[in-house]
Amino acid sequence: MASIGIIANPASGKDIRRLVSYATTIDNNEKVNICKRIVLAAQGLGVDEALFMPDTFMIGYAVKDSLEDDGVLEATLGLLDFELEATMEDTVLATGLMVERGVGCVVVLGGDGTSRAAAKAIGDTPMLSISTGTNNVYPAMMEGTVAGMAAAAAALIEEPRECCIHDKKITIFVNGQMRDIALIDAVVSDDFYAGAKAIWDPERIRRIVVTRCHPATIGFSAVAGAYEIVEDTDDFGLAITLGTEGRGVLAPIAAGVLTPVHVSQAKKIALGEEYSFVSDTRCMIALDGEREVRVQPGDEVRFVINRDGPWRVQPRKILSRAAELGMYDIE
Amino acid sequence: MAISNEQMKDMYVKMRRIRDFESTAAKLFAEGKIPGFVHLYLGEEAIAPAVCECLRDDDFITSTHRGHGHIIAKGGDLNLMMAELFGRETGYCKGKGGSMHIADRDKGILGANGIVGAGHCIACGAGLSAKIRGTDQVCVCFFGDGSTNQGTFHESLNMASIWKLPVIFVCENNHYGISMSQDRHQAIKDVADRGAAYNIPGVSVDGNDPLAVYEAAQEAVARARAGKGPTLVECKTYRQHGHFEGDPAIYKPKEEQAAWMEKDPMPRYANFLVENGVMTQEEVDAVDAQVAKEIEDAIAFADAQPIPAVETAVVDVYSDIVEEVRDR
Repeated sequence: MASIGIIANPASGKDIRRLVSYATTIDNNEKVNICKRIVLAAQGLGVDEALFMPDTFMIGYAVKDSLEDDGVLEATLGLLDFELEATMEDTVLATGLMVERGVGCVVVLGGDGTSRAAAKAIGDTPMLSISTGTNNVYPAMMEGTVAGMAAAAAALIEEPRECCIHDKKITIFVNGQMRDIALIDAVVSDDFYAGAKAIWDPERIRRIVVTRCHPATIGFSAVAGAYEIVEDTDDFGLAITLGTEGRGVLAPIAAGVLTPVHVSQAKKIALGEEYSFVSDTRCMIALDGEREVRVQPGDEVRFVINRDGPWRVQPRKILSRAAELGMYDIE
Repeated sequence: MAISNEQMKDMYVKMRRIRDFESTAAKLFAEGKIPGFVHLYLGEEAIAPAVCECLRDDDFITSTHRGHGHIIAKGGDLNLMMAELFGRETGYCKGKGGSMHIADRDKGILGANGIVGAGHCIACGAGLSAKIRGTDQVCVCFFGDGSTNQGTFHESLNMASIWKLPVIFVCENNHYGISMSQDRHQAIKDVADRGAAYNIPGVSVDGNDPLAVYEAAQEAVARARAGKGPTLVECKTYRQHGHFEGDPAIYKPKEEQAAWMEKDPMPRYANFLVENGVMTQEEVDAVDAQVAKEIEDAIAFADAQPIPAVETAVVDVYSDIVEEVRDR
């Protein structure tokens, strides 16, 4: 039996970046619509079961009710059963349960933060991230139908990881203790509280550590990308320090916002190599765009990049493989 | 965007003032010392102080039936508020309005309001006034999730949007409209989603974290002052008591109540301030003691005030304009 998991974050796409930039708004009813297209496309290619994460908007129930009412639901559609915390922990728990249940692919709808949460429990199961957040680098903008087909292909073919990229990941240590992870960037800012979580003020940013970066993305990784491009296939990351001097670059730090910044130092970080500093002030480390880790003066902060992140499905590649295997052929 | 230590302390003082005022009001109501109805702001203290920290004295706010917190945050006088709750002659409304009608024009407080959804229209009026007069004043409209199903909410967002009025719509989503939970009274989870329908930016923040509220409010106020129009800021929070004092709130699941009590903004913020060196524990204790004294003084003041004379029962109740029209 082929199954997929679907995690749709009801909280994505509503943060303060709608005020400080020109970020997209995607409401939860549109997330329901995207999920419907994922389920229909996946069942069309032969997926038997789709498992949803429960959430406060009850996206899974809305999808089930609608598709049943329309008489088009053929696959079994189930919801995981656990008590909601309405936090990122729901995504971590749901991902782990889906992996335990043996789904062939987990589709994640949300922003970089949602994918980061799923990455904590995804293991070797292929993951397909769709953007319904804001300044997203990790999840891609993708039509739900294509996502459903790609997820189905990942669940149905023999070696789906051949059509995936094994992503890099940053692990963050404070005073020797592992504190958290990031998939794209870890950004050190002058803040000392999480507040509205997002980061947007370049004057408060001190350091940026990235697994990959390109000026074609949005957010603080794009600052590093404007300085030097690092691809997802490169076996290194990059750490830059911002200041008032050094090479000036123009970078899209938020939707519709190109800002000049100065890179005072830059250092390539090989896989497994440590990049560290001792903080002389209190600060926050934003992980994939959200302020998460508080640092006190005197704390030693260490970043390590390894290729131990999720296996990210490449939709075009896996759909091409599906074509080679005749998955679209009819009798 | 940066917030100073002084501002963070000021927010704590106001939050503590609200918490103690409301806890005292609950006690006094139970003892029969407060007539009429009181709807308490307990659990929602992180919102109004953080929003009002972004305002100037000459800015406006509109409030709701659950208005004590808004009025205290905008600088309302505790003595006059308590006297009004006691129904005394020197209260804000000469003892005839009670909890739900407190206003202070000099402080830009355009009134608590017993009509759900009425504040939205008043806020648009204040915003339009500022725009016509060419000032850069703004108006914050506080309201609950229940009122976002009223026509006035939608009409006001539409008007504020097309006229780019300097209004900040702050939804205190406490998840209940009287006894009806949000998932039973609307098909959305985030009131912020409703902004898009009127081309207004809508954001959702943790309403039990004053720093999260402050950051969103700061940006929204800056937008309004710069002539960029209204913003919808949704603050997720929880009403710790019933809809009104005396409501046992049996419709609220115990697990839900317990989970939200874990997120009580008061200890959470006090701990943050101490852990990060913004205030010492001794400073926090001193604020608590100072506020306790303020509340004691307010009760003593209110208790000593006269009850309005019977013959003044309808004086100031109806508008003179209405009387003049009636006499014609």
